[in-house]
Amino acid sequence: MIEARDVSVAIGKKRIVANVDFEVRPGEISAIVGPNGSGKTTFLKAMSGDLVHTGRILINGRELSKMKPVEAATVRAVLPQATTLSFPFTVREIVRLGLVGGRSGVLPGEDERLPERALARVDLDGFAGRFYQELSGGEQQRVQLARVLCQVWAPVLDGGPRYLFLDEPVSSLDIKHQLIIMNIARDFARRGGGVVAILHDLNLTAMFADRIFVMHRGRLAATGSPRDVLSDDLIENVFDCRLKVGVLPAGNMPFVLPQSAA
Amino acid sequence: MADQSIAGPVKAMGASEGDRSGRARAVILMLCLGLAGAVLLSLTSGASDASAVNVIRDWLFGTIPGDAALNARDSLIVHDIRLPRVILGMLVGAALAVCGAVMQGLFRNPLADPGLIGVSAGSSLGAVAIIVLGGTMLAPVTALLGTLALPLAAFFGALATTLVLYQVATRRGQTSVATMLLAGIALAALAMALTGILIFMADDRQLRDLTFWSLGSLGGATWAKIASVGPIIVLALAAMPFLARGLNALALGEAAAGHLGIPVQRLKYTAIIGVSAAVGASVAVSGGIGFVGIVVPHLLRLLIGPDNRYLLPASALLGASLLLLADAVARTIVAPAELPIGIVTAVAGAPFFLWILLRKRGVIDL
Repeated sequence: MIEARDVSVAIGKKRIVANVDFEVRPGEISAIVGPNGSGKTTFLKAMSGDLVHTGRILINGRELSKMKPVEAATVRAVLPQATTLSFPFTVREIVRLGLVGGRSGVLPGEDERLPERALARVDLDGFAGRFYQELSGGEQQRVQLARVLCQVWAPVLDGGPRYLFLDEPVSSLDIKHQLIIMNIARDFARRGGGVVAILHDLNLTAMFADRIFVMHRGRLAATGSPRDVLSDDLIENVFDCRLKVGVLPAGNMPFVLPQSAA
Repeated sequence: MADQSIAGPVKAMGASEGDRSGRARAVILMLCLGLAGAVLLSLTSGASDASAVNVIRDWLFGTIPGDAALNARDSLIVHDIRLPRVILGMLVGAALAVCGAVMQGLFRNPLADPGLIGVSAGSSLGAVAIIVLGGTMLAPVTALLGTLALPLAAFFGALATTLVLYQVATRRGQTSVATMLLAGIALAALAMALTGILIFMADDRQLRDLTFWSLGSLGGATWAKIASVGPIIVLALAAMPFLARGLNALALGEAAAGHLGIPVQRLKYTAIIGVSAAVGASVAVSGGIGFVGIVVPHLLRLLIGPDNRYLLPASALLGASLLLLADAVARTIVAPAELPIGIVTAVAGAPFFLWILLRKRGVIDL
């Protein structure tokens, strides 16, 4: 489990994240939602160890600030929003970088085949020889996800769960690949790992997230299951939109359509 | 969408599609042979008619009776003039090329080059200070350090420039190319102005030394010079391969490299100190030899890709070979006089640099 307790982040004099409590449980997808500028990415960066913060962050019971880079890399992998490169790497060379830490968790000797398998999972079969810089934004994002998957290929290592941190993993993707990527995340969680994802699509969130953390102006505005959290009032208060939240007849799953704007 | 033809050389490899390590190894092997050829060429060519072939035959099979007198002269020329020059040329060429590749990885930018962004200028300032003030103001320093004073001063000049540059150009792990190049220009201008003040203070003899030295030359290579800077360059170069994996990860950005388990701060400081040491030592013995650090890694990236595990050793080999060839040209084109090698590398390298810019127009965003 990852536990964040009373985490605050200030950049310069401005407080971007204030007193957030948060947890990622193994077996679950925890989604962070919130309007632009609500502090979602800043909070995820603090959890990734990139930003100075106050409060405590524990990963599987260990204090993040006391972990070496390589120890942290063993238990969690981070997918950034977008990655541009200045050198002509091939797709395979980029995906292979996920193996730099050397603890993918597959049998010894299997590592060499992981880039292929990871590319197949993100629906990029046959892309290994292409140049990364020549791919579209959505394809680049999926290459990066393949790299991240190589890093923590086994969701459980040495008996401890591992985690995927995904910052807007689907925002540049078409709908087919949004579903493919979210299913990869779900599968990772089902097999014992934990997933944190920043998402903008509330319907995708409702469909895949086990737990939603709603951020608003740097604070946590609500926490709970999609059904408990997504309500007309919350959408209005947090997103400043008057929309009606509906419920799908079959799955008991909430949905939000922009057409319902009053 | 990408044009498949651009990916041509890479795609026809079947199961290991996109894996260029095999080709990289083959290229490195060829570069080894090329370097051996360049060494032979350098040993056998020169203003005198000394026969390196005879000398090498003597090394291998012993002196042939009767040829002893002639061979003694040839042997002197080869042993004490050409051989140190060849070794120095290899060291400096390898150092400049590898440092270029490392800085490009560190700044995540194919245009970073010690000569271009002021590191060499800072290094020159340190060296000129020792040359001009070594007898007066800095006499205690030269007395204390002896022959190490010059390379050490050049090292600290390079180190100071690189550190300032990195601080100025990098904000939150992202290096701004425009800031880097412009700050480099400003730092180079400052270093050159300070160097100018020192030159103003120099006497006639120092002035002549300085002029030739600043144009870059491998002339005057001696075993003593090799002994003073060789270990520094060899040590710095030996450390670089350990940075290769980290530099590869750094291509994704500092944060992403950290997430992959790379100790980024340590990597950066090791790279900066290593580059400063190697550039400083090179500048101290050979002055300003430009463009090797940008041309060599760029050519090799086209050939074997940007994987630093192969790029760094390949750069060392190609840098050493090219500098030997440039030196051979410098020594023979106006024989018996010789051209400063910095002029040769600039005449060949500057148009190449422009070509890179033209090819990348629209790709390199400043």
